[in-house]
Amino acid sequence: MKSFRKYWAIFQITLINSLAYPGELIGRSLMIIPFMWIFYQLWKVTYAAAGSDVINGLSLGNVMWYLMLAETIELGRPLVARTISENVKDGSIAYLLNKPYDFLLYQFSTVMGETIFRTLMNAIFGGIIVLWLVGPPQHPEGIIIALPAILGAWILHFCVTVMIGLSAFVVEDVSAFMWIYQKLAFMFGGMLIPLDFYPPWLQVIAKALPFSSITYGPARLFVTPTTEFFINVMALQIIWIVVLALLLTFAYRRGVAYLTVNGG
Amino acid sequence: MKELKFLLAVWKANLLSAMEYRAAFLSQAIGMMVNDFMYFVIWIIFFDRFKDVRGWGVNDMYLTYGVLASSFGLVSLLFGNAFYLSDIISKGRLDYYLSFPRPVLLHAVASRMIASGMGDFTYGFISYALSGYFAWDGLFRFVLATLLAATVFAAFLILIQSLAFWLGVMSNLSALALNAMLTFGIYPITLFDNYAKLILFTLIPAALMGAVPAEFIRSFTWQTLMELLVGAVVFLFIAVTVFRLGLKRYESGSAIQVEV
Repeated sequence: MKSFRKYWAIFQITLINSLAYPGELIGRSLMIIPFMWIFYQLWKVTYAAAGSDVINGLSLGNVMWYLMLAETIELGRPLVARTISENVKDGSIAYLLNKPYDFLLYQFSTVMGETIFRTLMNAIFGGIIVLWLVGPPQHPEGIIIALPAILGAWILHFCVTVMIGLSAFVVEDVSAFMWIYQKLAFMFGGMLIPLDFYPPWLQVIAKALPFSSITYGPARLFVTPTTEFFINVMALQIIWIVVLALLLTFAYRRGVAYLTVNGG
Repeated sequence: MKELKFLLAVWKANLLSAMEYRAAFLSQAIGMMVNDFMYFVIWIIFFDRFKDVRGWGVNDMYLTYGVLASSFGLVSLLFGNAFYLSDIISKGRLDYYLSFPRPVLLHAVASRMIASGMGDFTYGFISYALSGYFAWDGLFRFVLATLLAATVFAAFLILIQSLAFWLGVMSNLSALALNAMLTFGIYPITLFDNYAKLILFTLIPAALMGAVPAEFIRSFTWQTLMELLVGAVVFLFIAVTVFRLGLKRYESGSAIQVEV
């Protein structure tokens, strides 16, 4: 209980810290506006060309609200891999590793603290523009049902990005890994195109991978909040969280053994 | 001519410096090519399902993506600091460049080479080769269009980032402008109505980095060439003018800076 309080305090400090520069927070979140506008242009033309209001079970409104949540999850994430890489490069990792806390839980607490308001601001700006473009979501209650899946997505994303960050213990610069992870998340996560529009064989592959649990699962659950889909999304997320958390713990133990600290 | 010799010397120094870490340079270049390809796969999936967007097919995407990637890569390689100019201004790091008897803007923006730019630059040519529009005279137009699109892009970056002389720290605005330029540049121009197109030729000149160069590569017309030439000259003129006006307001922070 005492150790939980320690990480709760770290989470609270980071959360308050993220509000210290409201201009920065708002400015960063404005980026979702041009993205949603251009998505609307693309999908409006696509639906008009298809001559149908519903494609693969999704209406234009569904697609836009799906993309809003997908982008909100993506843009709300702090760049933890880059932070760890910078810590390794400038030597400050030495000060993080010798503190009386677990390095991974410390990172998790800070990442969660940074994520909450970023995501909230992106959801507000993204929500306003999508509301203006296509009207309210078909199932507004979907956002409540999708909340546990959003939390699961954050945990999964944390596991993957910290693993990439830990590779800095060996290779120092992790930007190439981050680009590739981001694009895998775009492709197999359904970030720009809902997975429902993929060829069936690719859907099967994409839906089995963790990327779909990070983006597609929560976003699709928001627009079609059925009990069956909720159970599917949560079950898959839990499986991937267990697998990736074990891998992360293993990678951390191996990584610390390899680490060479540069000055400080 | 003197400036060109100076530029060549700076680029040579940048290249030699990058080659000191050859493995890192290559891994970043190859990593960026993989990254570009993976992003493009999403468009292949989209056009496989929906075939075309108001007459714009996957081949047009290959071409637009190619010229955009190559011009982005060229600016990253040759004028890498154009991406960081606002930071240099707001942190008082222009002091270093002001102390040399060389053009401040040229020296500042050319002083960094972003290794991953080599990946973008090379990928652009591959994308063009795969577009189905490849022809030897088209390749010449591709190179020319890349140079002009890169000029527009570099000018846009300098223009936006020079606002730091008035606004101070502006990392969010510059990131927003950069993202808008790249996002609007890659999407089919046929999506936009006339008002949006006006914005894409003026405020965010993404059309001059994607759709217009692609049109010029597909088939030569004097109109598209003139659009690109005029766009490049006008944007460069505005960017240099705004930088010079801003430089008059520049105040050093007297901070100790180390240029590596």
